[in-house]
Amino acid sequence: MADNKKETVKETVETTGHQWDDDEGYPLKEYNNPLPRWWLYTFYATIVWSVIYWILYPAWPLVNDYTRGVLGWSQYSQLEEELAEAREMQKVWDDKLATLSLEQISNDNTLLQYAISGGKAVFGDNCAPCHGSGGVGSHAKGFPALVDDDWLFGGTLADIEESVQNGRTGTMPAHEEKYDGALNAQQVDVLTDYVLSLSGLGHDAQKAVAGKELFEGEAACVVCHGDSGKGSLKDVAFGDPIDRSVGAPDLTDAIWLYGGDRTTIRTSIAKGRTGKMPAWGEGFSGFGRKLDPLSIKEVTLYVHSLGGGR
Amino acid sequence: MKHATIEKNAALMSILVLIMVAIGGLVEIVPLFFIESTIETVQGIRPYTPLELKGRDLYIREGCYNCHSQMIRPFRDEVERYGHYSLAAESKYDHPFQWGSKRTGPDLARVGGKYSSLWHQEHMRRPRNVVPESVMPDYPWLEENALDYDDIADRMTAMSRIGVPYSEEMIKNAIADLKAQATPDSDTDGLNTRYGNKVPLDDFDGQPKRITELDAMVAYLQMLGTLVDFSSYQAQAR
Repeated sequence: MADNKKETVKETVETTGHQWDDDEGYPLKEYNNPLPRWWLYTFYATIVWSVIYWILYPAWPLVNDYTRGVLGWSQYSQLEEELAEAREMQKVWDDKLATLSLEQISNDNTLLQYAISGGKAVFGDNCAPCHGSGGVGSHAKGFPALVDDDWLFGGTLADIEESVQNGRTGTMPAHEEKYDGALNAQQVDVLTDYVLSLSGLGHDAQKAVAGKELFEGEAACVVCHGDSGKGSLKDVAFGDPIDRSVGAPDLTDAIWLYGGDRTTIRTSIAKGRTGKMPAWGEGFSGFGRKLDPLSIKEVTLYVHSLGGGR
Repeated sequence: MKHATIEKNAALMSILVLIMVAIGGLVEIVPLFFIESTIETVQGIRPYTPLELKGRDLYIREGCYNCHSQMIRPFRDEVERYGHYSLAAESKYDHPFQWGSKRTGPDLARVGGKYSSLWHQEHMRRPRNVVPESVMPDYPWLEENALDYDDIADRMTAMSRIGVPYSEEMIKNAIADLKAQATPDSDTDGLNTRYGNKVPLDDFDGQPKRITELDAMVAYLQMLGTLVDFSSYQAQAR
């Protein structure tokens, strides 16, 4: 049936020769329209290019290797080159940074500016999460501000470098019985009043007197904070032989690590506080990302430029 | 074989399609089981400790991978920011791996040790307390929920069945190791013998007497990317 109908269709355009259901007597045929020339030649060109690409670049997987291409390109060697190029440009400066001491660098203004801009980048990536952008600190969380001139462990270049290199741990023990301390709730209260009085904040004078007695006596606060409550560092300045590595804050300067209201101070005394600055120096066992010696120098100079003094 | 025959026979066509697709798979996937850079053995790689394994499960439960990748690509901008590019071996005990492809937040492949555990506690509670511009959601329940570790041995057994080299001893001591890692001043000799001396030990959640989900999460974050010592690592031919 299909055959006699088929012969009546005029074959004006070439078909693919394939035909589908011819229930109606008119088989469905497919014209073989040629592709546009420009398209076809572009297609051939891409084929030629792929062959060239296979020869030049890594392409085909083999059993336990792959064809590496005659250019020898790999993303790893490209990375090495880019890193090497950047290092080369910085080398003039970095060599000086590596050999000169922190003091010598501070005296060379151009070099200092280079180190500080490098240090700023290091700080932004590694330190800012805790100390805040620009070192403003997080007052309520006990991450110290670095922009003021109040330093827990010292603000000289050497002190700052030591802090970055080896880290610091500041521990204030818990004092209230509820938290395994030795003082009862009332004793913590009077101590709070005394601490408030040290920096001239609102307090109960009578309680503060009792607090002073505890401060110097039973509670042994003086061991770290010093007789005057000025903190371990400042008492060192006054010739008091207190270990400056304790990092006990000055309680008289109205600068607070965790906040200076009555509730926060009471919490600090009752529950204690632990502040930990991680060690960034290489060669420290344990875990963690480390900074190379150059970065430590740079960041030390940057932090010192923020508020270094003592 | 005439094409019409294939078109008219669904079963035959399925088989032939399967063969065609399989060829693509073989060429693209099989070499990865043999090419050096994907199978090299790297010094320092170890299975997760029980606490870290729980933390990793929480990482998946909370959907961290939706915003954080764990894959440092070999480009200068990434290497300068995050550290050495990731090696295939570093995720060899990850089932499933957490490479990810979406970075709303930063890459976490080498976040271990970068921040203190105290920072992580504050950051999980409310990220904006430490990073004012952060868009990360709060995860306050991690420090509230006690860690459910009854099933830790089973989870480790499951991992060992798919190729993670947990020894019988590791599985037997799972709960003890888990507690030791999260409890300061505890006896960690066993833990260190089984998993090495670089295992991070801390009171990860800031609550010495409890083991919470935050302990596990922070322990996991604190070990990420810390296993390989890149000062001694020599890249093989690539």
